[in-house]
Amino acid sequence: MCVGLSAKVVKIGDGVAIVDAGGAKREIASQLIEDLEPGDYVMVHAGVAIAKITDEDENETDQLMEDLF
Amino acid sequence: MSEERKRTAKEIIESYDGPALRIMEVCGTHTHEIFRLGIRKLLPEQVELISGPGCPVCVTPVGFIDEAIYLALECGATICTFGDLVRVPGTQMSLAGAREKGAKVHIVYSPVDAEQYAKEHPEEQVVFLSVGFETTTPAGCLSVKKAREDGLNNYSMLVANKTMPRAYEALKGSADVFLYPGHVNAITGTELCESLVQEGVSGVVAGFTARELLTALAVSLVKYQEGKPFFVNCYPRVVTREGSREAQRLVDELMEACDSEWRGLGTIPGSGLVLREEWQAFDARKKFNMPKIEGRSNPACRCGDVLQGKCKPSDCKVFGKGCTPQHPIGACMVSNEGACSAFYQYS
Amino acid sequence: MNKTVTMAHGAGGKQTSELIDEVFKTHFANPDLTADDAAVLPAPTGRIAMSTDGFIVSPAFFPGGNIGKLSICGTVNDLACMGAKPLYLSCAFVIEEGFPMEKLEEIAAAMEKTAKEAGVRIVSGDTKVAGKGQVDGVFITTTGVGQIEEGVRTSGDFAKPGDAIIVTGDIGRHGCTILLAREDFGIEADVTSDCAPLWGTVEAVLNTTKDVHVIRDATRGGVGTVLYEIAGQSKVGIRLDAAAVPVAPEVRGVCGMLGLEPLYLACEGRLVIMAPKSEAEKIVKVLRQCPYSENAAIIGEVTEDQPGRVVMTTEIGTQALLPQPGGELLPRIC
Repeated sequence: MCVGLSAKVVKIGDGVAIVDAGGAKREIASQLIEDLEPGDYVMVHAGVAIAKITDEDENETDQLMEDLF
Repeated sequence: MSEERKRTAKEIIESYDGPALRIMEVCGTHTHEIFRLGIRKLLPEQVELISGPGCPVCVTPVGFIDEAIYLALECGATICTFGDLVRVPGTQMSLAGAREKGAKVHIVYSPVDAEQYAKEHPEEQVVFLSVGFETTTPAGCLSVKKAREDGLNNYSMLVANKTMPRAYEALKGSADVFLYPGHVNAITGTELCESLVQEGVSGVVAGFTARELLTALAVSLVKYQEGKPFFVNCYPRVVTREGSREAQRLVDELMEACDSEWRGLGTIPGSGLVLREEWQAFDARKKFNMPKIEGRSNPACRCGDVLQGKCKPSDCKVFGKGCTPQHPIGACMVSNEGACSAFYQYS
Repeated sequence: MNKTVTMAHGAGGKQTSELIDEVFKTHFANPDLTADDAAVLPAPTGRIAMSTDGFIVSPAFFPGGNIGKLSICGTVNDLACMGAKPLYLSCAFVIEEGFPMEKLEEIAAAMEKTAKEAGVRIVSGDTKVAGKGQVDGVFITTTGVGQIEEGVRTSGDFAKPGDAIIVTGDIGRHGCTILLAREDFGIEADVTSDCAPLWGTVEAVLNTTKDVHVIRDATRGGVGTVLYEIAGQSKVGIRLDAAAVPVAPEVRGVCGMLGLEPLYLACEGRLVIMAPKSEAEKIVKVLRQCPYSENAAIIGEVTEDQPGRVVMTTEIGTQALLPQPGGELLPRIC
């Protein structure tokens, strides 16, 4: 229902941010997230940052597997 | 136990020998990725994956497309839309068909871009087709707020946004485990899904990469065998318990709940959104005095049954014959993530 | 001379000759290009290949090239795919009234440069001017004749199970460049078109081995479409190793934002080559020494299974069908 792209914040403006995904840059709306800083990773959907990503990688899956047993 | 630790998610899935179960991936992007990655081929026979109603294109009723075409052809409005909606069949034609008849259809990446387009084209009346679930709705709300700030009187939205909680109620018996849509949960948080455990509904929040999807499925299988209803957030790098308070506040400020028609599922009370009264200047239906338009879908199409997991796409009479991704009859064949389209393309 | 192209430039009189003399002849001059009604040329020996292609691209100028360069590359590459050394080209222009003369000059200069590189002569041309709004800027049609190298037989019909599939570089750059140049989606990325004349590349391959079954340039519809075409024509299956397909990170990023599949983005300087496995390493080695194919890679193989279909080995080791190409590329949110 919602394609998301994780991207790195490279610049912060007034309610907007420039994000970078593999060298592709775009301005997105960043009003939904407080205290965003350059270097943070965000999940972007339809031109809006919908969440700050705590871990740019998927290493959390290892932890989930550990917790299973 | 230490032996167990070494098993990867993929191995757990492939070697599952527990009781039969049905897992519904609610989200269409999950459907798409599951097909793209060939995950179904890993599953043992007794594990069935059902594609749920979480594709905004698939659940948008025919009448909505007819309304958009009315605005474009009768009112001369410029339609701004996500690419997904362009080929969805209306009663008589799709937006692509309307474009051939002279309708102005502008494809945007974000509703914010639609507002910007309106600002740059003051001579045009611009209508954004606002579809989508909790993930997408805030973007539309931002565009409306921006339009008010910019003093625009040529921007409005045709709203068909939907919310998931009531849909979960309606789907309750359709599956044993739900893969919850990670990006919806990023906005809403996980409290609702957690509370569904009390009602006996099991599910996990899933991310979208191969590793995340395999992990979510492995967790589902292991937990299911324990025999108790469960909830696990398998996408914690993006999804928190409280979600995005900011997004929730924004949507609540601009929109309120209404009854909403889901293609195939019928009307689900309280499952849709409309702009609140103080924002009605941006409601295209009000602005253009839209008459009531009842769409008619092709009676042979079984999208509704497919969406509820009552039948497989291949059980539908028109599947692959009259209805193909090139010439879709039902909405599920249109979007890349539509259950029928994914089934047709990947199997 | 006027600063823009006018209807008078297309009327056949003095101004038409001026346009031809000052813009086209200056750039295209060669002994075979005369003022007569047709070029008179010696007949080549052996078999020839002939191909025609119309070019419309918006915008006409883009990072990495313009419609002029494209119009030469397109036809030269079509000939090269048949193992034919391009000899002669004709070109027909349809120019929109009001088109800046300076831009036309730039287009002609690019054509000259590209033709020279490809070793082909422009021997015949035509110019028409259409009223404002009747065409978008400039449309170019080129037709080319080439001489097929002895002992070479390539065709989309000739793919055989056991062939290796090679792509001559990272894919989708041209399509991505055009998408960005249209500025519809507010995305910026440092991507330039892969547009290039590839006869030199093909010649290098054929000098190494003539045992090549298929060469096709992955233009409209991209590599994915070409693979489906060949799978259909040769009635074979195609297995693609998803991880082996070279894609520039920027192209991947743009595709990620818009929900597009790089395999379906157009290239204008990339070939798909199918040849027996025994020849594949040699071919890749020589390709990597050529200027437009340093990133050549083996991306899959031709199989007997599932004729007409393209199956991908995914990142988790499963087999999944590549979705069939489906018309207009529409960015999606879901």
